[in-house]
Amino acid sequence: MKGNGMRTWFRGAKTLASGFFRKHGQMGAQAPVSTFLISVGFVAVIFFAIISWMWWWFPYHLFSDEVYDIVAVNAPQSFIDYNQYMQTSRDLTSKEYGSRTDLFSNFDNIIRFNYTYDGYGATRFIYKENHALYDFVTFGKWMRENNAYLTVVFPEDFDGKVNARVKDHNLEKPDILTYYRTNSLEYTSMKEDFIDIYLQGYQDYLREKNGWAYANVNDSEIRDDPMDYTGKFSGRNFMLDSLGRSFVPLLMFIVILYAAMSAGTNVIAGQKELGTFTGILMTPVPRSAIIAGNLAGVTLKALIPVIFITAPLFLIRYYRTYAVIPAIIIHLIILAVFIAAITLLISVINDTVVSAQTAFLPVFLILVSVCVTCIQNSMEREDFYLSLPVYGQFYGIGDALAGTVSVRGILISSLSTLLLALIVIIIAERLLHNERYTVSIDPVTAKEIRQARAGKRSAIETANKITDNIVFFFREILYPLAVIGAFQLIAIVPVAVAYMRRADYSQYISDLKDISSVEQVIRKTFEVITIFMGDPLFLVLMTLAYFFMIAACIIHAKRVFKKNTFTEAFERCGLPLKGPGKIAKEYLLGLIAGFIMMSAVCLILTVSGQIKISGFGIGSSAVKLFFINLIMWFPQGASEELLFRGYMIPRIESRYKMAVAVFFSSLLFSVFHSLNMGYTPLASVNLFLIAVLFALIYIKTGSIWMTSAIHTMWNLSQGNIYGLQVSGNEAHAAIINTAYAADAKDIITGGAFGPEGGLAVTAVTAVCLMIVILLIANSRDFTRNKNA
Amino acid sequence: MITVKDIHKSYTKDTETIKGVSFEIGKGTIFGLLGPNGAGKTTLMQIIATLMKPTSGTVEIAGMSPDKDLLKIHKLLGFLTTEIKLDPVSTPDRLFDFFAELYDIPKDEIKNRKEKAFARFGITPFAGRRISELSTGMKQKISIAISLLHEPPIIIFDEPTNGLDILTSRQVTDYLKELRNEGRCIILSTHIFSVAEELCDEVAVLVDGKIVAQGTVDELTALTGEKNFEDAFFKIYVENHKEDQ
Repeated sequence: MKGNGMRTWFRGAKTLASGFFRKHGQMGAQAPVSTFLISVGFVAVIFFAIISWMWWWFPYHLFSDEVYDIVAVNAPQSFIDYNQYMQTSRDLTSKEYGSRTDLFSNFDNIIRFNYTYDGYGATRFIYKENHALYDFVTFGKWMRENNAYLTVVFPEDFDGKVNARVKDHNLEKPDILTYYRTNSLEYTSMKEDFIDIYLQGYQDYLREKNGWAYANVNDSEIRDDPMDYTGKFSGRNFMLDSLGRSFVPLLMFIVILYAAMSAGTNVIAGQKELGTFTGILMTPVPRSAIIAGNLAGVTLKALIPVIFITAPLFLIRYYRTYAVIPAIIIHLIILAVFIAAITLLISVINDTVVSAQTAFLPVFLILVSVCVTCIQNSMEREDFYLSLPVYGQFYGIGDALAGTVSVRGILISSLSTLLLALIVIIIAERLLHNERYTVSIDPVTAKEIRQARAGKRSAIETANKITDNIVFFFREILYPLAVIGAFQLIAIVPVAVAYMRRADYSQYISDLKDISSVEQVIRKTFEVITIFMGDPLFLVLMTLAYFFMIAACIIHAKRVFKKNTFTEAFERCGLPLKGPGKIAKEYLLGLIAGFIMMSAVCLILTVSGQIKISGFGIGSSAVKLFFINLIMWFPQGASEELLFRGYMIPRIESRYKMAVAVFFSSLLFSVFHSLNMGYTPLASVNLFLIAVLFALIYIKTGSIWMTSAIHTMWNLSQGNIYGLQVSGNEAHAAIINTAYAADAKDIITGGAFGPEGGLAVTAVTAVCLMIVILLIANSRDFTRNKNA
Repeated sequence: MITVKDIHKSYTKDTETIKGVSFEIGKGTIFGLLGPNGAGKTTLMQIIATLMKPTSGTVEIAGMSPDKDLLKIHKLLGFLTTEIKLDPVSTPDRLFDFFAELYDIPKDEIKNRKEKAFARFGITPFAGRRISELSTGMKQKISIAISLLHEPPIIIFDEPTNGLDILTSRQVTDYLKELRNEGRCIILSTHIFSVAEELCDEVAVLVDGKIVAQGTVDELTALTGEKNFEDAFFKIYVENHKEDQ
C-alpha cells in the first residue's frame, strides 16, 4: 500500500473508531428500549443469583486455615481407647526414631496421614452425642465450630453390636457413617486415608483386643457421605479467593459481552438498518479499515465499563499483588477484542439491530455457560485449560486475582484467542466484499427473489409443521410437570431435611439404602409422602406451593394468551372474577356435588360391606392437622383444575379441536395421578373418566369454579371426612374412621390407591358423566357458553 | 467518464433483473435513466456505483475498473440514493465532518467546504440541529451537500427530487445544472418527466431490465411521433413491456 493509501486507511479507521465516543456518532440504529431492559434484567438476575448463592454459603467460609480434627459422634469406648493407644504409640515412636517419615514403608500413601496423625499436625478427636445419624446440619455446625474436616458417626452401642455379631454372624453389620468437607480434594484423600488406615487399624485393634480369630472380616460397614462444606483458607480470604475465581471473572465476561453486543450491533447492522452504511461504503476507506476501525471502537467501548468494575477490586488488599493488574488488563483486552470480533461478524451478517442481537444471544449464552463450566471445574482443572481461548482468560483472571500469574499461560491463551479473533475478522472483512451483506435490495427485487424461492419450501414446511406439533404437545406435557415438580420441591426439601435431623427416623433412613427395585422406589416414595402428609409443616408448605402454582400458571397464561391484564388472564383460564354472586353459587354447588359424589361412593362401599366404620371424631392431637388439611385442599383442587382444565383446554383448543383438548388434558391428568402408589389400570381409567367429567363441566359452565369446588370437596370428604386414601396418599385426620373389611375386594375399593382405583368410583363417575352429557345435549346455549 | 458494456445481473438463477445494458456517458452531460418501478433502475445505479457486481459485463469509470481500483473510483464518485439516509440523532455539522474525514480531506479544507456547501443550501442555521428535527427537503439538501463534499467529477443520483416540494426540487435541479456546467458527469434515475425533460442531455428508457430507447428527449419524442415526452415514454413502455414475465 502506498503512503497515501496508508494514511487514508488509518484516518478512516480512526474516524470510524472515534465515532463510538461521540454522542450518537455511530450512524447506526439504536437498539430498542425493550432489548435494553431485557438485557439489564438478565444481568440483574444473574447478579442476584450469584450474590444469593454466595450469601447462602457465607457462614461456611468462616473456617480457619487448614483443619485436621475429627468429630466422633456416639464414639464407643473401644474407639476412645484406640485413639489414646494410637496417641501413646505415636509419641513413643517419635521419641525412638526422632523422625516421623522413616516409620512407613508405603511412603506415598502415608505421607499425608503421617503428617496428620503424628505429633505435629496432631488430630484431635471431638466426641459428641447425637441420636439422629443423618443430621448433617448439626454435624456441619460441629465441624465448623471445632475446625474438623470429618465427622464419624457410630451407631449407638457400637461395641455391643460388634460383640453380638462376633457371636452371631448373621446379624446386620453396624454402619459407620462419615461426613466430610468436599471443598478440597485434600479432604477427600484425608478421609480415604482415615478410613483405609485409621479405621482399618481400629478394626485390627478390636480383633486383637478381643482375641477374635478371623482376620479379614469387615465387621462394620463404613459408608461415606460427602458433605459440601468449605473452608480451605481463613474465612475472608477464602471468600475473596472463591469470588475472584468465580463471580468476578463471570461479571467481567458478562459486562464485556453486553457492552460489545450493544456497541457492535449498533454499527454495521444498525447502519444497514438506517441505510447509512452505503454512504460509508462509498467513501475511499478500504473495507479492512472499516472493520478495523469498528473493531477498535467496539473493543474500547466494551472495555470501559469493565474497567470501571475492575478498578475498585484493587482497593481490596487480597487482590493487590504485583502481577495482577497487567495480567488482568491483558486478559480483558484480548477477551474484548475476541468478543468484539464476533459481534462485528454477526453485525456484518445481519441487516437490523434486533436480528443481530438475536443472533448474538446464542453466543452470549454459550460464553456464559463456558464461564459456568470454568467455575465448576476450577478446583480440578488441567493446566492446558490455561492455554485455551476464553478458558484461558477466565482462569487467568481468576488466578491473577488469587495471586498467581502464569506468563506462559497468558502468552499462549492470548495468542490463540487473537488468532481466533483474526480468523473471525478476516471472515467479516471478506463478507463486506459480498454485496449480499452490503447492499439493501429494493423491495421489488426482494419480492422477485422471494417468489423464486417459494417453490422449494413445501417439503421443509411439512417437516416444520410436524415438528411444530410435536414440540407443542411436548411443551404442554412438560409445563404442568415442571410447575408441579418445581413447587412441590419447595415443600419437600425443607421437610426432608427436618426428618433427617430427627433421631427416631435414623433407622428408617438407614433402611432406605436397601431399596433395589423400581417398584420399591415408588413404594418408599409414597411411604415418605404419607409420613409427610401427617406433618403440619409439610401441609402448610404445600398449601403455599399450590398458591405458587396458581400464580405461575396465571403468569404463564397471561403471556401465552397475550392478555394485557391479569384479570383477563384469569378469565381466559376459566376463573372469571366478575360476578361474585355467580361464582359463589357455582362454587357452593360444586362443593355440594363433590360431597354427594364422594358420599355415594362411600355408600356403595359400606352397603356392599367393603368398608366398616370403626369410630367417629378426631383425636385432640389431630385437630390442628385436620384444619390445615382442610385449608390445603382448596388451593390444591384449584391449582390442578387450573393446570389441567382452565389453562390446558383453551390452550390446546386454540390449535386443535375441542375433543382433542379434552382427550389430551384428561389423559395427562390420568397419567400424572397414576404415578401414585398402588396404581392399577382401573385407576387410570377412573381418573381419565373423572377428568373428562370435569372437562365437560368446565365447558358447560365456562369456568373452573365449579370443578375446583368438586375437586376440593372430593379430596376433602374422601380424606378428612370418610378417612379414605386420596390417590394413594393416606389421610391422617378424618372425622369418620373407616377401615377396609377383611374380605374387601381391591377391584371395588381400589385398595392402596384409594377409591379412585376401584369400581365404586367408576360407577359414580359414569352416572355423573351421563347426567352432564344429558344436560349439555339439552341446553341450547352450549356453543355460546363454550365461547364465553 | 462512464462506460457500461453489456451488463447482466440476476439475483436468482431463473430471473434476470438487468438483461444486457450498454451505454457511455461523457464529461459535462446529464444522463437520465427513466423507467417504471421495478425496471431495474436502482440495481443498475448500484452496479455503476460499484456497490454491486454485475453477473456479466463490465463497468468502467474514468477508464478504471472497479475490480482493480475500487478506492480510487470512490474518490471520483458521488452517490445519492432514493431514500434520505442520514443518522437521525446526529447533526449536519457532525455528519459533514465525519464523512470529510473518511474522504481524507485536509482539516483546514473541511471547514472551508462546509461553510460553502452549507451556505449554498441554506443549511447553516440548522447545522447544529438534530437531523430528526429537520424537514424532508432540508434532509435531502444535507444529503446532497455531504455526498458531494469531496467534489467528485462523477455524480450518481437515484431519484434526486423524489418526494421534494417544488421549491426544494427547483433548488436541486438548478444545482445539478450548475454541476454539469462545471464539466461534471451526472447520471440520474427518475420517473418524473419534467425533471428529465428539463435536465437531461441524454435519456435512456429502461423497461424490464433492457434499454429500449436512447437519445435526447426531443429525439425520443420525435421517434414515437407523440406530442410530448410523457406520451412518448408511455408508448415506448407499452410497446416493450411484456406481461407475466
